[in-house]
Amino acid sequence: MKRFTLNPVVIALLLAAGLFALGGVIRPGFANYTLALNILRLAAFLAIVAAGQTLVVISGGEGIDLSVGAVVTLGAILVFRIANGSNALLLPALALALLVGALIGAINGVGITLLRVPPLVMTLGMTGVVGGLILVITQGRLVGAPAPALNALVSRPLVFGIPGVVLLWLVLGGLMWVLLERTVYGKQLFAIGMNRTTARLSGVRVPLVVIATYALSSMLAALGGVVLLGYTQNVFLNLGAPYTLPSIAAVVVGGTLIAGGMGSYWGTMAGALVLTILTSLLTALTLPESARQIIYGLTLLALLAVYGRERGLRQ
Amino acid sequence: MNITFSATHVIKRYGGVVALADGNLSVRSGEVLALMGANGSGKSTLSKIITGVVAPDAGQLLLDGQPIRFSSPQMARAHGIAAVYQELSLIPDLTVAENIWLAHEPTRLGRVDTRAITRRTTALLELFRGTIQPGLQPDTAVGDLPPDERQIVEILKTLAWEPRLIILDEATASLDTQQVNRLCELIADWKARDMAIVMVSHRMEEVFRLADRATVLRSGAYVGDVATAETSEAALVQMMIEGGVSPRQATTPNPGAIAVRAELDNIHTRTLHGVSLTINAGEILGLGGLGGQGQPDVLLALFGAIPYRGTISLDGAPVRFRHPHQAMQRRLAYVPGDRGREGLLANRSILENLQLPSWSRYGWFTRMRQAHADGEAVAKTLRLVRDSLRAPASSLSGGNAQKLVLGKWLLRDPNVLLLNDPTKGIDVGAKGEFYRLLTELRNQGVAIVLYSSDDDELLGLCDRVLVMRDGQISATLQGPTLTRTALVSASMSAAQAEVA
Repeated sequence: MKRFTLNPVVIALLLAAGLFALGGVIRPGFANYTLALNILRLAAFLAIVAAGQTLVVISGGEGIDLSVGAVVTLGAILVFRIANGSNALLLPALALALLVGALIGAINGVGITLLRVPPLVMTLGMTGVVGGLILVITQGRLVGAPAPALNALVSRPLVFGIPGVVLLWLVLGGLMWVLLERTVYGKQLFAIGMNRTTARLSGVRVPLVVIATYALSSMLAALGGVVLLGYTQNVFLNLGAPYTLPSIAAVVVGGTLIAGGMGSYWGTMAGALVLTILTSLLTALTLPESARQIIYGLTLLALLAVYGRERGLRQ
Repeated sequence: MNITFSATHVIKRYGGVVALADGNLSVRSGEVLALMGANGSGKSTLSKIITGVVAPDAGQLLLDGQPIRFSSPQMARAHGIAAVYQELSLIPDLTVAENIWLAHEPTRLGRVDTRAITRRTTALLELFRGTIQPGLQPDTAVGDLPPDERQIVEILKTLAWEPRLIILDEATASLDTQQVNRLCELIADWKARDMAIVMVSHRMEEVFRLADRATVLRSGAYVGDVATAETSEAALVQMMIEGGVSPRQATTPNPGAIAVRAELDNIHTRTLHGVSLTINAGEILGLGGLGGQGQPDVLLALFGAIPYRGTISLDGAPVRFRHPHQAMQRRLAYVPGDRGREGLLANRSILENLQLPSWSRYGWFTRMRQAHADGEAVAKTLRLVRDSLRAPASSLSGGNAQKLVLGKWLLRDPNVLLLNDPTKGIDVGAKGEFYRLLTELRNQGVAIVLYSSDDDELLGLCDRVLVMRDGQISATLQGPTLTRTALVSASMSAAQAEVA
């Protein structure tokens, strides 16, 4: 065990810094304070959605949540419609969005544990269901308005020009650390991800932990949707979809084992930064969309291949 | 078709453990040889060496007078040696025919000849016709078959290789009487057709019915050969144990008054068929017998880990645990035998392994300092050899890993401790420390139930031993009746009166 290994969180952070510096070299003016803040803000949206994904991947059992994108959209639409431009209604709308999110996730968890539907299939199916639900709620017309307070929270600089959403993200980071490292739930989550038989024989009620995990994942996705609404100021049916796969990529780039049982939210935060900087850099290079997508995909593949070598899968 | 085969002075070590110290065996065409020995005598290792599953460290194998080394089971099969194992090797999703011909499908013009496969499978199935359901056809999926018919497919699969020497390792374990009779007829037929047969069996009645000769192993070493016509069941048992004297150190009876802690009444599970027993405080109760007689299910049913029928009571009141966490609240603890699969979180820290059942005691915001201090205290009691509690559990040696699995329960102060063959594969030194811990717990009044595949462990450690056979208790051994002779003969013979 004396082999020299770099902490995956450190690797991801170094990579983020390296990419940012590379951007500054290739495209002078890329690496400035304003743009850095903008990247942080964009990374925050991804990282909030990926927080729940981190829990799901750690829980093991081929854990993956493909429904986060749809739930992001649903969360945004609910607040857009219910708060309808009123700051007073913002909190009740937020509470409702989180509740609906938790409910959707709990249904995912019940399907996965009690009905033994594979997570991939269950959450993919749920994406369709939530999509239908959105059509029912909106009746095809996206009426409503963003609450001004929400916009202020996301965009207005609070300290040193740092927007509120970035501070919110840091608070979430602290809460996620407490959840994973200092609560019974966190300890049991790592245990079921590592070995479900051992966990069960040590008294862990595996299905309960799994259901709670998927509920948290959807709840955090709904929160991500609400925060995103503060940025976009508008909703559309495809709002959350682009976050689904990057949320998984951020988790894996952050060093969380795809097989479960090992990982951290710090890693996911760093992973979200890497992905966001990479996207911004590719955009700044003014390459055609096709080339951007190919480079983005290849970079991800290269990263994951290196990680596979570095950490190995279990045993 | 004729074959002579012999193994002389074969040795096999696994790490520091000697599985086979001096294996000898010889068999020739037209002969049925029984390979016999108590638990851990090395008979499975020897049969695996003969079939090329395991390579010996030393010794010589002679086939038809020529020295030979098998590097794989495929190579042994190519020389006409094949085995039927009790651990089933069939693929549930494939059909009977596909399983039987897997990897040696008959071909015609370079393509798999499905018609020949069906024809030849039907012919094989004919051998057991009358003892199997008419529905069992070449295209039946193996996953749909009951255990006895799977075992028959397993036998046919071996037969399809047309071996000259066939090894039957407990092949009758899951067959019914009719099927066993048919197999006996077949064995007689194979014998007449000059095949050589080696049967590894624990069933005395089958050995005397079928075998011409028995080779006996004891603690990995060859004891002798004996013609079954010239010996008796008792004489064979004597050969399997060391002179029939028990070197058991008498355990001092626990001074504390014996109180009944738990009672099982007529418990049925998939492998148990009506088990009743009582578990006393301050006593180590051993579960003995050959492997696979349902012993782990006694422990798992009690711990709420498997469904069962029957009644379990704890301290006089009936309980029905549906999940281990309920059993844990009543201070039960279970130490699994398969550490890697059921006992450890390999890549997580030693501390997290120790505290997994107990985190909820440390409050809403886990008091890590306290948890760490408690973990250190247990590690000290266990004399756990470790770098730090933050090191992953996988960095521990086998013996220390097993202490860790026990240690997580010590933190919860259990009063019923269930152990499922806990010292399998750990070295002698670590075993000694493990025994010391168990004896200490027993003297503190913990009720301990120990299933062990090691007869010495049962004899040396237990106050009382229940011998299990076919999912039932076949004998209760205690005090003067707890001897090696009684333990071995109760494990081997079907009709064993209760010795109390």
